[in-house]
Amino acid sequence: MPDLRFLIVDDFSTMRRIVRNLLKEIGHADADEAEDGVVALHKLRNGKFDFVVSDINMPNMNGFELLTQIKSDDKLKHLPVLMVTAEARKEDIIAAAQGGAAGYIVKPFTKATLEEKLANIFKKMGW
Amino acid sequence: MNASTHEQSTEMFQRLGHITRQLHDALNQLGYTPALKGAVDELPDARSRLQYIARLTGDAAEKVLNRVDEAKAEQDAVRQHSQQLLDTIGAVPGLKWAMPELLEWSQKIQHSTERTDTHLTEIMLAQDFHDLTGQVIKKVVTLAATIEAQLVQLLLESAVHAHPNAQPAGPAGAAPQSVAPAPLAPTARREDEALSGPVVNPEGRTDVVTDQAQVDDLLASLGF
Repeated sequence: MPDLRFLIVDDFSTMRRIVRNLLKEIGHADADEAEDGVVALHKLRNGKFDFVVSDINMPNMNGFELLTQIKSDDKLKHLPVLMVTAEARKEDIIAAAQGGAAGYIVKPFTKATLEEKLANIFKKMGW
Repeated sequence: MNASTHEQSTEMFQRLGHITRQLHDALNQLGYTPALKGAVDELPDARSRLQYIARLTGDAAEKVLNRVDEAKAEQDAVRQHSQQLLDTIGAVPGLKWAMPELLEWSQKIQHSTERTDTHLTEIMLAQDFHDLTGQVIKKVVTLAATIEAQLVQLLLESAVHAHPNAQPAGPAGAAPQSVAPAPLAPTARREDEALSGPVVNPEGRTDVVTDQAQVDDLLASLGF
Protein backbone atom coordinates (compact mmCIF):
# COMPACT_ATOMS: atom_id res chain seq x y z
CA MET A 1 0.00 0.00 0.00
CA PRO A 2 1.55 3.35 -1.04
CA ASP A 3 1.41 6.35 1.29
CA LEU A 4 -1.78 8.13 0.28
CA ARG A 5 -2.62 11.79 0.66
CA PHE A 6 -6.31 12.45 1.32
CA LEU A 7 -8.42 15.56 0.83
CA ILE A 8 -11.43 15.72 3.15
CA VAL A 9 -14.20 18.03 1.90
CA ASP A 10 -17.04 18.99 4.24
CA ASP A 11 -18.55 22.31 5.30
CA PHE A 12 -18.79 21.14 8.92
CA SER A 13 -15.44 21.30 10.70
CA THR A 14 -16.62 18.67 13.19
CA MET A 15 -17.16 16.16 10.41
CA ARG A 16 -13.83 16.99 8.75
CA ARG A 17 -12.12 16.35 12.05
CA ILE A 18 -13.98 13.06 12.62
CA VAL A 19 -13.09 11.76 9.16
CA ARG A 20 -9.50 12.89 9.54
CA ASN A 21 -9.16 11.12 12.92
CA LEU A 22 -10.75 7.96 11.54
CA LEU A 23 -8.40 7.95 8.55
CA LYS A 24 -5.49 8.35 10.95
CA GLU A 25 -6.70 5.40 13.02
CA ILE A 26 -7.01 3.31 9.88
CA GLY A 27 -3.43 4.20 8.98
CA HIS A 28 -3.76 7.23 6.69
CA ALA A 29 -2.41 10.21 8.59
CA ASP A 30 -1.58 12.34 5.56
CA ALA A 31 -4.67 14.48 4.94
CA ASP A 32 -5.74 18.02 4.21
CA GLU A 33 -9.17 19.64 4.49
CA ALA A 34 -11.45 21.88 2.43
CA GLU A 35 -14.75 23.46 3.51
CA ASP A 36 -16.46 23.36 0.11
CA GLY A 37 -16.01 22.30 -3.50
CA VAL A 38 -14.40 25.56 -4.58
CA VAL A 39 -11.62 25.33 -1.99
CA ALA A 40 -11.26 21.61 -2.69
CA LEU A 41 -10.84 22.13 -6.42
CA HIS A 42 -8.23 24.82 -5.82
CA LYS A 43 -6.27 22.53 -3.50
CA LEU A 44 -6.55 19.58 -5.87
CA ARG A 45 -5.28 21.65 -8.81
CA ASN A 46 -2.42 23.11 -6.81
CA GLY A 47 -1.32 20.14 -4.74
CA LYS A 48 -0.78 16.41 -4.88
CA PHE A 49 -3.56 14.20 -3.63
CA ASP A 50 -4.42 10.53 -4.10
CA PHE A 51 -7.93 10.32 -2.68
CA VAL A 52 -10.93 12.58 -2.08
CA VAL A 53 -13.53 12.07 0.66
CA SER A 54 -16.35 14.51 0.02
CA ASP A 55 -19.66 15.59 1.51
CA ILE A 56 -22.43 16.55 -0.95
CA ASN A 57 -24.52 19.27 0.67
CA MET A 58 -22.11 22.23 0.84
CA PRO A 59 -22.30 25.94 -0.01
CA ASN A 60 -20.58 27.55 -3.02
CA MET A 61 -19.93 24.25 -4.80
CA ASN A 62 -21.64 21.08 -3.66
CA GLY A 63 -20.25 17.55 -3.83
CA PHE A 64 -21.97 16.68 -7.12
CA GLU A 65 -20.50 19.72 -8.81
CA LEU A 66 -17.07 18.93 -7.35
CA LEU A 67 -17.34 15.34 -8.61
CA THR A 68 -18.24 16.60 -12.09
CA GLN A 69 -15.30 19.01 -12.09
CA ILE A 70 -12.87 16.31 -10.96
CA LYS A 71 -14.08 13.76 -13.49
CA SER A 72 -13.92 16.26 -16.37
CA ASP A 73 -10.38 17.39 -15.54
CA ASP A 74 -7.72 15.31 -17.26
CA LYS A 75 -5.28 15.86 -14.43
CA LEU A 76 -7.74 14.92 -11.69
CA LYS A 77 -10.13 12.37 -13.15
CA HIS A 78 -8.04 9.42 -11.96
CA LEU A 79 -8.70 10.39 -8.33
CA PRO A 80 -11.14 8.13 -6.48
CA VAL A 81 -13.90 10.16 -4.82
CA LEU A 82 -15.72 8.65 -1.86
CA MET A 83 -18.95 10.47 -1.02
CA VAL A 84 -19.71 10.66 2.72
CA THR A 85 -23.05 12.40 3.08
CA ALA A 86 -26.41 12.68 4.79
CA GLU A 87 -28.14 12.72 1.39
CA ALA A 88 -30.17 9.51 1.48
CA ARG A 89 -32.36 9.82 -1.61
CA LYS A 90 -31.92 6.93 -4.00
CA GLU A 91 -31.70 9.30 -6.97
CA ASP A 92 -28.75 11.09 -5.34
CA ILE A 93 -26.94 7.80 -4.66
CA ILE A 94 -27.47 6.69 -8.26
CA ALA A 95 -26.42 10.10 -9.59
CA ALA A 96 -23.20 9.93 -7.59
CA ALA A 97 -22.40 6.46 -8.91
CA GLN A 98 -23.18 7.47 -12.48
CA GLY A 99 -21.09 10.60 -12.01
CA GLY A 100 -18.04 8.50 -11.23
CA ALA A 101 -17.99 8.33 -7.43
CA ALA A 102 -15.91 5.42 -6.20
CA GLY A 103 -18.16 4.83 -3.18
CA TYR A 104 -21.06 6.23 -1.19
CA ILE A 105 -21.36 6.29 2.59
CA VAL A 106 -24.49 7.62 4.21
CA LYS A 107 -24.18 9.46 7.54
CA PRO A 108 -24.22 8.49 10.34
CA PHE A 109 -21.62 5.83 9.66
CA THR A 110 -19.19 3.60 11.52
CA LYS A 111 -15.43 3.18 11.41
CA ALA A 112 -15.96 -0.33 10.05
CA THR A 113 -18.00 1.05 7.12
CA LEU A 114 -15.28 3.55 6.23
CA GLU A 115 -12.60 0.84 6.45
CA GLU A 116 -14.63 -1.50 4.28
CA LYS A 117 -15.34 1.07 1.57
CA LEU A 118 -11.73 2.23 1.49
CA ALA A 119 -10.53 -1.38 1.21
CA ASN A 120 -12.91 -1.98 -1.72
CA ILE A 121 -11.71 1.12 -3.54
CA PHE A 122 -8.03 0.36 -2.86
CA LYS A 123 -8.57 -3.10 -4.30
CA LYS A 124 -10.15 -1.68 -7.46
CA MET A 125 -7.30 0.80 -7.77
CA GLY A 126 -4.76 -2.01 -7.40
CA TRP A 127 -3.23 -0.43 -4.29
CA MET B 1 -46.66 25.34 -24.01
CA ASN B 2 -49.81 25.01 -26.15
CA ALA B 3 -52.71 27.49 -26.23
CA SER B 4 -54.93 25.40 -24.00
CA THR B 5 -52.26 25.03 -21.32
CA HIS B 6 -51.47 28.73 -21.55
CA GLU B 7 -55.14 29.61 -21.03
CA GLN B 8 -55.36 27.26 -18.06
CA SER B 9 -52.25 28.81 -16.52
CA THR B 10 -53.57 32.32 -17.07
CA GLU B 11 -56.87 31.38 -15.48
CA MET B 12 -55.09 29.75 -12.55
CA PHE B 13 -52.95 32.85 -11.94
CA GLN B 14 -56.02 35.09 -12.15
CA ARG B 15 -57.79 32.93 -9.58
CA LEU B 16 -54.71 32.95 -7.34
CA GLY B 17 -54.57 36.75 -7.66
CA HIS B 18 -58.24 36.94 -6.71
CA ILE B 19 -57.68 34.72 -3.67
CA THR B 20 -54.69 36.85 -2.64
CA ARG B 21 -56.74 40.05 -2.89
CA GLN B 22 -59.49 38.43 -0.80
CA LEU B 23 -56.87 37.42 1.75
CA HIS B 24 -55.53 40.99 1.86
CA ASP B 25 -59.03 42.36 2.36
CA ALA B 26 -59.83 39.79 5.03
CA LEU B 27 -56.61 40.54 6.89
CA ASN B 28 -57.39 44.24 6.89
CA GLN B 29 -61.06 43.88 7.77
CA LEU B 30 -60.44 41.42 10.57
CA GLY B 31 -57.58 43.50 11.93
CA TYR B 32 -55.03 40.74 11.51
CA THR B 33 -52.43 42.92 9.83
CA PRO B 34 -50.83 43.97 13.15
CA ALA B 35 -50.72 40.32 14.23
CA LEU B 36 -49.12 39.40 10.91
CA LYS B 37 -46.59 42.20 11.36
CA GLY B 38 -45.84 40.84 14.84
CA ALA B 39 -45.23 37.38 13.40
CA VAL B 40 -42.91 38.83 10.75
CA ASP B 41 -40.98 40.76 13.40
CA GLU B 42 -40.54 37.57 15.47
CA LEU B 43 -39.14 35.45 12.65
CA PRO B 44 -35.61 36.95 12.78
CA ASP B 45 -35.60 36.21 16.50
CA ALA B 46 -36.61 32.58 15.80
CA ARG B 47 -33.80 32.34 13.26
CA SER B 48 -31.31 33.75 15.76
CA ARG B 49 -32.38 31.21 18.36
CA LEU B 50 -31.90 28.33 15.92
CA GLN B 51 -28.48 29.66 14.93
CA TYR B 52 -27.62 29.94 18.62
CA ILE B 53 -28.50 26.24 19.08
CA ALA B 54 -26.38 25.31 16.07
CA ARG B 55 -23.43 27.32 17.41
CA LEU B 56 -23.64 25.88 20.93
CA THR B 57 -23.99 22.28 19.77
CA GLY B 58 -21.07 22.85 17.42
CA ASP B 59 -18.93 24.21 20.26
CA ALA B 60 -19.94 21.26 22.46
CA ALA B 61 -19.02 18.76 19.74
CA GLU B 62 -15.62 20.43 19.31
CA LYS B 63 -15.00 20.30 23.07
CA VAL B 64 -15.81 16.58 23.10
CA LEU B 65 -13.47 15.99 20.15
CA ASN B 66 -10.68 17.87 21.96
CA ARG B 67 -11.17 15.70 25.06
CA VAL B 68 -11.30 12.53 22.97
CA ASP B 69 -7.99 13.47 21.34
CA GLU B 70 -6.40 13.99 24.75
CA ALA B 71 -7.92 10.80 26.18
CA LYS B 72 -6.74 8.76 23.19
CA ALA B 73 -3.21 10.08 23.67
CA GLU B 74 -3.35 9.13 27.38
CA GLN B 75 -4.70 5.71 26.50
CA ASP B 76 -1.92 5.17 24.03
CA ALA B 77 0.66 6.05 26.69
CA VAL B 78 -0.92 3.53 29.10
CA ARG B 79 -0.90 0.90 26.36
CA GLN B 80 2.77 1.52 25.61
CA HIS B 81 3.72 1.35 29.30
CA SER B 82 1.82 -1.88 29.80
CA GLN B 83 3.62 -3.30 26.77
CA GLN B 84 6.94 -2.28 28.31
CA LEU B 85 5.86 -4.03 31.49
CA LEU B 86 5.01 -7.19 29.55
CA ASP B 87 8.36 -7.07 27.77
CA THR B 88 10.21 -6.58 31.08
CA ILE B 89 8.38 -9.47 32.74
CA GLY B 90 9.26 -11.68 29.82
CA ALA B 91 12.90 -10.59 29.88
CA VAL B 92 13.54 -11.35 33.56
CA PRO B 93 14.22 -15.09 33.89
CA GLY B 94 11.69 -16.87 36.06
CA LEU B 95 9.65 -13.74 36.90
CA LYS B 96 6.50 -14.72 35.03
CA TRP B 97 6.55 -18.06 36.87
CA ALA B 98 7.35 -16.53 40.24
CA MET B 99 4.70 -13.80 39.97
CA PRO B 100 2.19 -14.84 37.26
CA GLU B 101 -0.27 -12.18 38.41
CA LEU B 102 2.08 -9.48 37.06
CA LEU B 103 1.75 -10.95 33.61
CA GLU B 104 -2.02 -11.33 33.97
CA TRP B 105 -2.52 -7.74 35.17
CA SER B 106 -0.38 -6.33 32.40
CA GLN B 107 -2.33 -8.26 29.78
CA LYS B 108 -5.62 -7.05 31.30
CA ILE B 109 -4.39 -3.46 31.12
CA GLN B 110 -3.54 -3.99 27.44
CA HIS B 111 -7.01 -5.31 26.70
CA SER B 112 -8.67 -2.53 28.70
CA THR B 113 -6.81 0.15 26.76
CA GLU B 114 -7.94 -1.41 23.49
CA ARG B 115 -11.58 -1.46 24.60
CA THR B 116 -11.38 2.09 25.94
CA ASP B 117 -9.90 3.25 22.66
CA THR B 118 -12.82 1.68 20.81
CA HIS B 119 -15.25 3.48 23.14
CA LEU B 120 -13.45 6.77 22.50
CA THR B 121 -13.72 6.23 18.75
CA GLU B 122 -17.47 5.67 19.15
CA ILE B 123 -17.76 8.88 21.23
CA MET B 124 -15.87 10.74 18.51
CA LEU B 125 -18.14 9.37 15.77
CA ALA B 126 -21.25 10.26 17.77
CA GLN B 127 -20.29 13.93 17.41
CA ASP B 128 -21.51 13.74 13.82
CA PHE B 129 -24.87 14.71 15.33
CA HIS B 130 -23.63 18.30 14.96
CA ASP B 131 -23.36 17.90 11.19
CA LEU B 132 -26.73 16.16 10.85
CA THR B 133 -28.71 18.46 13.15
CA GLY B 134 -26.83 21.45 11.76
CA GLN B 135 -28.03 20.65 8.25
CA VAL B 136 -31.62 20.35 9.46
CA ILE B 137 -31.38 23.64 11.38
CA LYS B 138 -29.91 25.33 8.30
CA LYS B 139 -32.88 24.21 6.22
CA VAL B 140 -35.34 25.46 8.86
CA VAL B 141 -33.52 28.82 9.04
CA THR B 142 -33.73 29.12 5.24
CA LEU B 143 -37.40 28.19 5.37
CA ALA B 144 -38.03 30.84 8.06
CA ALA B 145 -36.29 33.44 5.87
CA THR B 146 -38.50 32.47 2.93
CA ILE B 147 -41.67 32.66 5.01
CA GLU B 148 -40.55 36.02 6.40
CA ALA B 149 -39.97 37.39 2.90
CA GLN B 150 -43.37 36.16 1.74
CA LEU B 151 -45.16 37.60 4.79
CA VAL B 152 -43.40 40.93 4.32
CA GLN B 153 -44.62 40.91 0.73
CA LEU B 154 -48.15 40.14 1.90
CA LEU B 155 -48.00 43.01 4.39
CA LEU B 156 -46.72 45.43 1.75
CA GLU B 157 -49.45 44.46 -0.66
CA SER B 158 -52.07 44.68 2.10
CA ALA B 159 -50.92 48.22 2.82
CA VAL B 160 -51.14 49.13 -0.87
CA HIS B 161 -54.67 47.70 -1.14
CA ALA B 162 -55.82 49.44 2.05
CA HIS B 163 -54.26 52.82 1.09
CA PRO B 164 -53.74 52.82 -2.68
CA ASN B 165 -52.08 56.26 -2.64
CA ALA B 166 -49.99 55.67 0.45
CA GLN B 167 -46.36 54.63 0.48
CA PRO B 168 -46.45 51.37 2.44
CA ALA B 169 -44.48 51.26 5.65
CA GLY B 170 -42.81 47.86 5.93
CA PRO B 171 -42.07 46.05 9.15
CA ALA B 172 -38.87 46.70 11.03
CA GLY B 173 -35.90 46.10 8.78
CA ALA B 174 -38.01 45.51 5.67
CA ALA B 175 -37.14 47.21 2.42
CA PRO B 176 -40.42 48.06 0.65
CA GLN B 177 -39.02 48.73 -2.81
CA SER B 178 -40.22 45.75 -4.77
CA VAL B 179 -43.47 43.90 -5.12
CA ALA B 180 -41.98 40.89 -6.85
CA PRO B 181 -41.63 37.76 -4.70
CA ALA B 182 -38.19 37.68 -3.10
CA PRO B 183 -36.17 34.92 -4.74
CA LEU B 184 -34.07 32.59 -2.64
CA ALA B 185 -30.33 32.94 -2.78
CA PRO B 186 -28.86 30.56 -5.41
CA THR B 187 -27.26 28.35 -2.78
CA ALA B 188 -30.44 28.12 -0.72
CA ARG B 189 -32.52 27.33 -3.80
CA ARG B 190 -30.11 24.63 -4.93
CA GLU B 191 -30.14 23.03 -1.47
CA ASP B 192 -33.91 23.27 -1.19
CA GLU B 193 -34.71 21.93 -4.62
CA ALA B 194 -31.89 19.54 -5.39
CA LEU B 195 -30.57 18.35 -2.06
CA SER B 196 -32.75 17.24 0.79
CA GLY B 197 -30.26 16.79 3.64
CA PRO B 198 -30.78 14.23 6.41
CA VAL B 199 -34.04 12.29 6.25
CA VAL B 200 -35.89 13.35 9.39
CA ASN B 201 -38.82 10.97 8.97
CA PRO B 202 -38.24 8.05 6.58
CA GLU B 203 -41.49 6.28 7.48
CA GLY B 204 -43.58 5.51 4.41
CA ARG B 205 -40.95 6.84 2.00
CA THR B 206 -39.64 4.62 -0.75
CA ASP B 207 -37.37 7.21 -2.35
CA VAL B 208 -34.78 7.19 0.43
CA VAL B 209 -32.46 4.73 2.13
CA THR B 210 -32.25 4.44 5.89
CA ASP B 211 -28.89 2.74 6.37
CA GLN B 212 -25.64 1.82 4.66
CA ALA B 213 -26.84 -1.71 3.83
CA GLN B 214 -29.61 -0.22 1.66
CA VAL B 215 -27.08 2.03 -0.08
CA ASP B 216 -24.89 -1.00 -0.85
CA ASP B 217 -27.87 -3.06 -2.06
CA LEU B 218 -29.07 -0.26 -4.31
CA LEU B 219 -25.64 0.24 -5.89
CA ALA B 220 -25.11 -3.52 -6.26
CA SER B 221 -28.50 -3.89 -7.96
CA LEU B 222 -27.39 -1.32 -10.53
CA GLY B 223 -24.07 -3.00 -11.11
CA PHE B 224 -21.88 -0.47 -9.28
